[in-house]
Amino acid sequence: MTTLEAVAKAVRDTGGELRAGGTDVMTRATRPPVDLLSVPGLRGIVWRPDGSARIGALTTIADLLADDRLTAAYPALAATAAAIATPQIRNVATVGGNLLQRNRCWYLRNPAFTCHQTGGDTCPAREGAHLYSAVIDQGPCIAPHPSSLAVALLTYAATAEVHGRSPLGIAELYGDGGDPTCDHRLESGEILQAVLMPAPTPIERAAYRRATAREMAEWPLVEAVARLTLDGDTITTAAIAVGGVARTPLFLPEVADALLGKSATEETLAAAADLATARCSPLPRSAYKVALLRATLIDVLTACSAPPPPATL
Amino acid sequence: MEFSLNGKPVDVGVEPAETVASVLRERMGLTGTKVACGTGVCGTCTVLVDGRTAASCLLPAGAVADREITTVEGLGGDHPVQRAFAEHDALQCGYCTPGFVVEAAAFMDRWRAEHGTIKPSREQIAEALAGHLCRCGAYAGIYEAVAAACAGEHDEGTVTPVRVEALSKITGAARYTADVTLEGQLEGVIVRSPHPHAKVGEIRHDGLLAELLPPDRVVRYVGQPVAAVAAPTKAEALAVAARIEVDYTVLPTVLSSEAETIVYPTEESRKGAPRANEGPLASAKWNGNVRGPAAMSWRGRTAVKRIEKARNDGGGQTLVEATFTTAVQAHTCMEPHGCVARWEGDDLHLHLSTQAVTRVAEQAAKRWKLRPEQVHVVAEHVGGGFGSKVNVTSDVVAAVELSRLHGVPVRVVLSRPEELVDGGTRPGVRIELALLADADGGLSAFTMDGHGDSGVSIGSNAAWHSRFFYGNAPRRIRDYDHITNRAPGIPFRGPGLPPMLWALEQAVDEVALRRGEDPIALRRRWDGNAKRHALYDRASTLPMWRDRTDPGDGRLRRGVGVAAANYMYFLDPGTKVSLTVEQGAVVARIATQDIGTGSRSVIAEVVRSTLGLRSGQVRVELGRSDHAYGPSAASSCSTPSIAPAAQDAARRLRKALGARSLDEAEGLQVVGRRPRDRRGYVTPFPLDHFAIGRGFSGAVVVTEVEVDTLLGRVRPTRVWSGVAAGHVYVPRLARNQCEGGVIQGIGYALFEQRHEDPATGTVLTANLEDYRIPGIADTPEIDVYFHTEGWDHVPGRGVGLGEICTMAVAASIGNAVRHATGWRPHDLPIRPDLLLEGIGT
Ligand SMILES: Cc1cc2nc3c(=O)[nH]c(=O)nc-3n(C[C@H](O)[C@H](O)[C@H](O)COP(=O)(O)OP(=O)(O)OC[C@H]3O[C@@H](n4cnc5c(N)ncnc54)[C@H](O)[C@@H]3O)c2cc1C
Ligand code: FES
Ligand code: FES
Repeated sequence: MTTLEAVAKAVRDTGGELRAGGTDVMTRATRPPVDLLSVPGLRGIVWRPDGSARIGALTTIADLLADDRLTAAYPALAATAAAIATPQIRNVATVGGNLLQRNRCWYLRNPAFTCHQTGGDTCPAREGAHLYSAVIDQGPCIAPHPSSLAVALLTYAATAEVHGRSPLGIAELYGDGGDPTCDHRLESGEILQAVLMPAPTPIERAAYRRATAREMAEWPLVEAVARLTLDGDTITTAAIAVGGVARTPLFLPEVADALLGKSATEETLAAAADLATARCSPLPRSAYKVALLRATLIDVLTACSAPPPPATL
Repeated sequence: MEFSLNGKPVDVGVEPAETVASVLRERMGLTGTKVACGTGVCGTCTVLVDGRTAASCLLPAGAVADREITTVEGLGGDHPVQRAFAEHDALQCGYCTPGFVVEAAAFMDRWRAEHGTIKPSREQIAEALAGHLCRCGAYAGIYEAVAAACAGEHDEGTVTPVRVEALSKITGAARYTADVTLEGQLEGVIVRSPHPHAKVGEIRHDGLLAELLPPDRVVRYVGQPVAAVAAPTKAEALAVAARIEVDYTVLPTVLSSEAETIVYPTEESRKGAPRANEGPLASAKWNGNVRGPAAMSWRGRTAVKRIEKARNDGGGQTLVEATFTTAVQAHTCMEPHGCVARWEGDDLHLHLSTQAVTRVAEQAAKRWKLRPEQVHVVAEHVGGGFGSKVNVTSDVVAAVELSRLHGVPVRVVLSRPEELVDGGTRPGVRIELALLADADGGLSAFTMDGHGDSGVSIGSNAAWHSRFFYGNAPRRIRDYDHITNRAPGIPFRGPGLPPMLWALEQAVDEVALRRGEDPIALRRRWDGNAKRHALYDRASTLPMWRDRTDPGDGRLRRGVGVAAANYMYFLDPGTKVSLTVEQGAVVARIATQDIGTGSRSVIAEVVRSTLGLRSGQVRVELGRSDHAYGPSAASSCSTPSIAPAAQDAARRLRKALGARSLDEAEGLQVVGRRPRDRRGYVTPFPLDHFAIGRGFSGAVVVTEVEVDTLLGRVRPTRVWSGVAAGHVYVPRLARNQCEGGVIQGIGYALFEQRHEDPATGTVLTANLEDYRIPGIADTPEIDVYFHTEGWDHVPGRGVGLGEICTMAVAASIGNAVRHATGWRPHDLPIRPDLLLEGIGT
């Protein structure tokens, strides 16, 4: 049996890379892998007395979906998890790996190029083919952040429990996107142990939406999560986050604020979605993503402000 | 490491970096598990780990210690899902099949446990199988098979597979080139150019190395083969390759044909340019990096005059002028290019993933200066081709040369990135079109210029094909190749036609709209082809067409579009089939191959029905160049060549048998030939074995799409595909082929596009995540209709349909999007960004 200490040390000593499910690590030529799977106690969901949940870092995405209590308590997380990748990947991919995976930029993953992430000092996508790039410019690298789960977790104000560190908010896990050399802020050898979910909100309406060309199993151009609670027609709480548009998954308080105290009309939702586009400064061929960001927000807000379907079949 | 494999404990040594897929394939010899992408996207490598599916290409070997692994071989062959796949013909080439079967079996078991024998919905099946890609597009059959298996329709009884080799494909037993391992075999890898344009100097390497350079030693695109080396394992070979030093003198990169530098500066270098078309190349002048025009006009000057006049003075005529573009589309067969070469004395033996055993054998004999009978090509099962596997490609050259150097067999199999860079593409084309209808609505004239973005290849010929469509109105037709330092185009399913029809069929639609005429009625007036008339008549009565409604202005808008296609009829008049009586059965042998199109089954069916035998009494052996001469699987010529030859052979056998039973005629052998068509052929003698027969095959496609105007997505919901190709030998197989053609057409219309780095031309879509092919959830409901009349001059009365069925699909989608949104797409693929921009949100 291995301990977190031993794994952390192995990473530092060998200059290796942690490997959880391996679905990301194995697609890259990486440093020597150090397996995390043999560390006990990192998989599974524990409910705490205050009703909050602790999701172990090695819990798979399929595990999340198979847990009825969890999917009922955190519907936005469940909807997001269900849209990720494919069944075979969800069976293996872990929550920790999903949050800490490397981005999918086609320059980064092509051995013919170097960039900030691979020891170079340029971003070839910026001058080159940037159709899928970020449109909210946070720094030298313009690869959008890949983690869908992170988008959902932002809306829940979840925290990350990291071995040898005090807990971090999900936003802190990624920082401001200004560092072009990495996709998250953990140092080599720091291990994510769990994600802590605050106690669930009883009657929230939640939705996840992604814009893609194909129906399924495609990385999102833009993705969005919304959680609303309504009192009659009036929106009383709102939490909204988006992915695919920036170097980090992005919480959008301004969109949420624009909804509070209003009734969920088409105009209100559209006006709130418009606010997100103020942050955008797209490149020539990624300008469409600004419109798509707005559209995806409208879609997700519409989905969770519509009355829930009747409970009976 | 210990684990349980298909119910038995095993103990193997593994390397830390090894994947489960590699342990299964290379160490345990279980090659049913395929590795088509290696990045978790395609699902061909799916296995069960403790009963749950996983992509074994990404699974570290260590992760399955002490766990239970079940592979396709472990399903036993009798799982209801496997039986259903055979009965519903849920496969073509079969390369994706083991992965689908493993996933579907796990799904069915789960489904039954939770829901009993209720049928799952299409959506539920799609969700379960979303992690699997089938390039042949057998999704319609897969839906049927999985639903029927879940419903308990295949729990017992004998299985009658539609496709004769189905069982071997469904159980993982079918052996493809990448699965072949010979005694002492080495693994070869190709070193490729990192430069778009460079002259290669010295290549330094302290071991054996095969050069793969053209005679002038100039590499002209990133990824062009330079050399190849071999080692006992792929990892070692890659390590050896990484140590090779190549001197490159970098030349200026040409990414626009207007660049000053000339890609092919000499007559000699032009001769080496790869070809994107099939058949002979229309002659054309070179002007720097532009080759053209290759003209195919008919009363071209009249056409130009009429159009110019109409431009100045409409006079009640309808002139549609527009520019259409298409993207570069990759073949990306699920089985990559691959070859295992072995020299035995002066005889060359090749296991090869090819659509052309005889043609490649001939080319190899020429290249390595051997007599034809010294080259032996074997292609037992081939995981798709689509035009990309008809020649001696770099994998073949590398394997043959390395095998000669090392004196042992050498296997070279391309990786998915290599496949997407250098495995073949359909050139992108820009088409400038002016189409004129006279005041009475007749076709007055058109001009069409095709500009091929064909990289270093020539012969993008798209406009060319418009010569044969819509009667004899004057037309000026010109094709140009724009040569750049990009990977070459090569023939791809109906070369030239999908882009030509993308333009022509949308322009025809536009004329109909402007004239306020029904687009089918207008085509019927312009099109003299009687077989297509039958299809138009049928199409116009379809409820989907007849009852099409105003799409409205909501978020989701439905539209219906129609498009037609016309294709030449090719055959290989030299085709022969031999039949031998062996142990009470008839064995058919022919040097052709089955790339998933069903040639085995067609021959079996023709022989069986002609001789009145049971299906178990006929066996077909193909995929060997040593057999009786047979055709390449190209230009839709297989069925009209092999079926009549098989029938001729069967008749000869019947005669030779006389009153004897098969048991009394052991060893009896006859050879049948392809009888001539009545009134002969258009080509007086075969060119490169092909003849062009009389008559054209036709297709009419009606497609309904649902456009999500908020998120910019186009979803084809229903497709009616009418095909006029005469007698259909095995209807279920033909339907499968046409359904696959529809799905590839959808990929072409909506998703597929090679993207390159604008500075170097380096292909960025070098994986199946970024190069998007349709998945099962993108499959509409497809209704295939065959019009079988009108081929009485052809023995067997049927011609090929593998290409005609895909050509018009994209154009029908373009017209449907126009109907749904009022906006006509001009550029392929219709990505969300283009749609949103087009409809103005
Ligand atoms: C076809 C396909 C489609 C996909 N679509 C989506 C999608 O839509 N949305 C999405 O979000 N993802 C998508 N993915 C990515 C997938 O979700 C990730 O590959 C997966 O979640 C990674 O998890 P893993 O356990 O396999 O991580 P690994 O590959 O093991 O690790 C990933 C990274 O995280 C680090 N790491 C892992 N665990 C820890 C830990 N506990 N502490 C510190 N570091 C750690 C590793 O060192 C490594 O750098 C897709 C993948 C595929 C193949
Ligand atoms: S080979 Fe494993 S998913 Fe494609
Ligand atoms: S049958 Fe699916 S890829 Fe050929």
